[in-house]
Amino acid sequence: MRNEVYIKIENLTKTFGPVIANNNVCLEVNRGEIHALLGENGSGKSTLMNMLSGIYTPDSGQIYIKGRQVTFRTPKDSMEMGIGMIHQHFKLVEVMSAKENIIAGQKGRFFVGSAKLSGKIRKISDKYGLAVDPDKKIYNMSVGEKQTVEILKVIYRGAEILILDEPTAVLTPQETEGLFKILRKMKESGSAVIIITHKLNEVMEIADKITVLRKGETVGTVNKEDTNSAELTNLMVGRAVDLSISRIECKDKKTILNIEGLTVVDDEKVKALDNINFKLSAGEILGVAGVAGSGQKELCEAIAGLFPVASGKIEYKGENIVGKNPRDIIKKGISMSFIPEDRLGMGLVASMGMVDNMILKEYQNQKGFMIDKKIARSLSQNLIKKLEINTPGIYHPVRQLSGGNIQKVLLGREIESNPHLLITAYPVRGLDINASYTIYDLLNEQKEKGVGILYIGEDLDVLIELCDRIMVICNGKITGMVDAHKVNKEQLGMMMAGEAMETVMGVGA
Amino acid sequence: MKRLLALMLAVVMITAAVLTGCGSGSAAPAGGEGLKVGFIYIGTPGDVGYTFAHDQGRIYLEEQLKDKGVTTAKVESVPETADSEKAIKNLIDQGCKVIFATSFGYMDFVEKVAKEYPDVKFFHCSGNKSNGTNFVNYFGKIEQARYLTGIVAGLKTKSGKIGYVAAMQIPEVIRGIDAFTLGVRSVNPTAVVNVKWTNTWYDPQLEKSAAEALLNEGNDVIAQHQDSTAPQIAAQEKGAFAIGYNSDSSKAAPKAYLTAPVWNWGVYYVDQVQKILDGSWKAENYLGGMHEGVVDIGPMTDLVDADIKAKVEEVKAKILDGSLDVFAGPVKDQTGAVKIAEGATMTVEEQQACKWFVEGVNGKID
Amino acid sequence: MVRIVKRTDLTKRQSVMFRLLAILGALLAAGIFILFLGFNPFRVYLSMLDGSFGSLYRFKESIIQAIPLIVSSLGISIAFRMKFWNIGAEGQIIMGAFAASYFALYWSNLPVYVMLPLMFLASAAAGGIWALIPAFFKAQFGTNETLFTLMMNYIAQKIIVYVQYGPWKDPKALGAGKIALFGDNAALPEVFGIHIGWIITVVLVILVYIFINKTKRGYEIQVIGESENTARYAGMNVKKIILSSLILSGALCGLVGMFQVSGVNHTLSYQVANGVGFTAIITTWLAGLSAPVIVIVCFLFAVLQQGGTFIQTAFSIHSSAAQLIQGMILFFVLGSEFFIQYRLVLKQKTDKLIKKEAA
Repeated sequence: MRNEVYIKIENLTKTFGPVIANNNVCLEVNRGEIHALLGENGSGKSTLMNMLSGIYTPDSGQIYIKGRQVTFRTPKDSMEMGIGMIHQHFKLVEVMSAKENIIAGQKGRFFVGSAKLSGKIRKISDKYGLAVDPDKKIYNMSVGEKQTVEILKVIYRGAEILILDEPTAVLTPQETEGLFKILRKMKESGSAVIIITHKLNEVMEIADKITVLRKGETVGTVNKEDTNSAELTNLMVGRAVDLSISRIECKDKKTILNIEGLTVVDDEKVKALDNINFKLSAGEILGVAGVAGSGQKELCEAIAGLFPVASGKIEYKGENIVGKNPRDIIKKGISMSFIPEDRLGMGLVASMGMVDNMILKEYQNQKGFMIDKKIARSLSQNLIKKLEINTPGIYHPVRQLSGGNIQKVLLGREIESNPHLLITAYPVRGLDINASYTIYDLLNEQKEKGVGILYIGEDLDVLIELCDRIMVICNGKITGMVDAHKVNKEQLGMMMAGEAMETVMGVGA
Repeated sequence: MKRLLALMLAVVMITAAVLTGCGSGSAAPAGGEGLKVGFIYIGTPGDVGYTFAHDQGRIYLEEQLKDKGVTTAKVESVPETADSEKAIKNLIDQGCKVIFATSFGYMDFVEKVAKEYPDVKFFHCSGNKSNGTNFVNYFGKIEQARYLTGIVAGLKTKSGKIGYVAAMQIPEVIRGIDAFTLGVRSVNPTAVVNVKWTNTWYDPQLEKSAAEALLNEGNDVIAQHQDSTAPQIAAQEKGAFAIGYNSDSSKAAPKAYLTAPVWNWGVYYVDQVQKILDGSWKAENYLGGMHEGVVDIGPMTDLVDADIKAKVEEVKAKILDGSLDVFAGPVKDQTGAVKIAEGATMTVEEQQACKWFVEGVNGKID
Repeated sequence: MVRIVKRTDLTKRQSVMFRLLAILGALLAAGIFILFLGFNPFRVYLSMLDGSFGSLYRFKESIIQAIPLIVSSLGISIAFRMKFWNIGAEGQIIMGAFAASYFALYWSNLPVYVMLPLMFLASAAAGGIWALIPAFFKAQFGTNETLFTLMMNYIAQKIIVYVQYGPWKDPKALGAGKIALFGDNAALPEVFGIHIGWIITVVLVILVYIFINKTKRGYEIQVIGESENTARYAGMNVKKIILSSLILSGALCGLVGMFQVSGVNHTLSYQVANGVGFTAIITTWLAGLSAPVIVIVCFLFAVLQQGGTFIQTAFSIHSSAAQLIQGMILFFVLGSEFFIQYRLVLKQKTDKLIKKEAA
């Protein structure tokens, strides 16, 4: 029973213009198996899964489901064959309840009795441990709950093969644990699960088999028992990589930023930041941990002068900068870079090339009416060399660069402006391992120079390794300020969920 | 996609070959040897009004002098702005040697262009200027016909209130109202003529709503100095009667239309162009009347009773034989003061500067 | 059955091909229409070209038509660069013309070298203020600039209607609602038979190009157009930049008003803008907001208009039919822009198409 092949992919190839996204990719997934698809960004994982779910049609190669060769033209074809895809961005209608979302779009099910439906949903919930209130509206749900609804939705529609695209990226460690429990139950009941990820520790925790992709080709498939993180990294990157982040200790600890009682109110009159107090020293990296939307963005923008402050003080080098305009704050040596989910966000001008992006802040220091791009040109060329930015040219629109290169351009510019205080949010968002480490090195370099760094991150492992101290925020309040040496992921996770530091650290100790 | 492009090219080329093949026979060079006469119109001949009347004249001219090589060209809907200057220049560029500019607002522009093109002859309708060499004005004594239609209205009205939808506050329109009112009062001394201004020559919607307003105020006959038939249609909808303008428009509002003062421009156009061809043309302003045939009262419909028709014919005969002058004194103005003394009349110069209403007109000149 | 898919992979050559195809299609469709009117389409097309290039006079007329289009397009392009949808060029032209006419009519004794610069400045200022009003309301109260600028057009036009029939009425016009012709001291001089506005236009095209691409303010405008948040992030005073750039945008349109009253009409009427402000929106958009391309597009538009006027008299084609032909050509060209950005996919053929694309 364990060896029944649910999915077999043979020599799938897919090209987009001159780019070969998948080249003769092979994959085999059995019933009752959790199969991890591992690879760096741009290695072709998403393309492969999109072909499986009928979004793309392969140029050549075959797909077999339960031994039958199939051709998917639309996502519906794929769904009918029992494949359910859980995307990174949930496709749920916010104003509807879980139940309504589950039945939405189903043919001929308009008049299904509510009680019968609830019964069916409850049956699935019980079977897989999917705890969700069917009548709760989506907008009232946490990220974890939303994901559960997505899973329920595809199972309800008859999926026996579940594909999850980076499912843990948005979850707290506790939620991740919950998800893994569900996946294990599905496996026990005979489903096949494919999980796309680049987090090695998760792979080692949950997967039975691992297929590694690199540059659009399958590097190999291994059993979890027969491998380890180091080997997988080698397979992924193609060479050995040092996985530890060095933490440099800086002696000279002068307070550079002192925030007292900072409160900001957003458009909906909700306190996005509520009485925030902390200090940041020169030569220190202060990490900020928190579930997305806990006030990170508002904190960055308040310091940069972009978000109105309701009350409190932001002292920079002893001077209160509340009420100063963004231009003056930039001139004082405060750099802020926020990488939003779409990566381009507000730090860069998407349609402009590197040169024009380099002068985004610097141009204001130029005298006269005309703009001088000479320095920006040489700066662009230097950055390309120094940070190994891959671009067709310094005038090529940054929008068309890959995510990693975009982030290098942004961070490179911010660092080149020689700031005294560097605020950076999600600088490695979506980056592959190599690129991430380049960024960590850059940050450490700055730290050594005596720059104070406020680092807002997602990956708790990285926060623990890179930062000196970690501040945890939840719903705009500080729930913990801990020494990075003395905390573990679980403790951070509990504080992110709103538990007070005293309780958590008491439990942990 | 290349295939599609090739296909389309092929289609175009084939059609090109076919069309140029059959088209070349009917080649009619613009300009040519003969005299080309250009017209610019304020509206379109479709207005069955002012422009229609001029265009009838153009067609008549072409018919009469075709054999002598006269051709015509026209530009429709030319606004009374510098666009008219451009339209005239375009016509000259296309070979026109004679220009008829048929609306009052073109006058200054025509005068300007006339200076630039001394070898082209310019006729401007309804104004007063002339440069004595190649730019003249022409118009007709339409007040004679208006006087006659005033008689029809004066005898037709029951309420004693007659509405008048009027275009612009210029002497041409004002003296038209005066003549009409004198006609009304000659047969119905207590009737009044209520005037509403539209500030437009051709705007059917606006003219219709002006007429409706007059009808609501109790006027039961509507007259007009407008180029559309909208006031007549408004009258028909309210069960009232209407007097048109420019040409016979009985078809537009058969249940309301009584008659209209009409133009026969062809008479003048043929006369002038013939003189140009003969070399006997002189730069003189022209003001033709019923006697010359340029203006007339249009056929009266069956809605006009026989005795009214008889009265009109009687007065018309007097105008034709010169025994009746429409503006013959005594004529009083709105205040009751005598403006034209007994035995006197309005001179042409006075007519062209006329800025006052006669007694019986209910309206204001700003 | 049919899906609309955004294109990503169109090469320059393909998009040029698409546009050519569109023009071809337009000529074909309009040709059929002309055939129905009873004319030979090729003769009509040829005479359209003849009408806009056939003689020195016609060529000059084409250029005179292009001038207001180009300058208004330049003005609009500055606003559009910031994604400020200035639909109010028409009104800005009118107000520019209004202000220039004020000096021409009521300070008519000024010598020409004082008069013209005064008219120039007055028209720019009036156009600028007319654009500043909606910009101010947008910056201060978040009003919708599209509707606001559109409504400002009607206000401007009605102001001129009022003065034309009221206080500015030419007393010598015997009561007709028209404004007197300007004196010679208020007429733009001619160079090579075309009013000097064409030289100013050439200079403005170069200046706007430099302004957008080489100056700090131009850079700021481009950043704001991309994202106001980014602009704020970079420390730009977004409100101030929008307001001052809108003054510039309106001032350029205001100048058009002066060109028209002083160079072409020599008087003011409420029809002074004559739709130029609206046509310029199309030309600006077709030109991709680029100053040099604006010159080309506007000239082609002028040719289309001039040719349309010409065939009207040459063939006695009714004016609305001539406009219809112009409209059809425009329709196809604008329609091709859609197909340059999107393609339609028949569902059954999806994978065939994708394969072909990849090949």
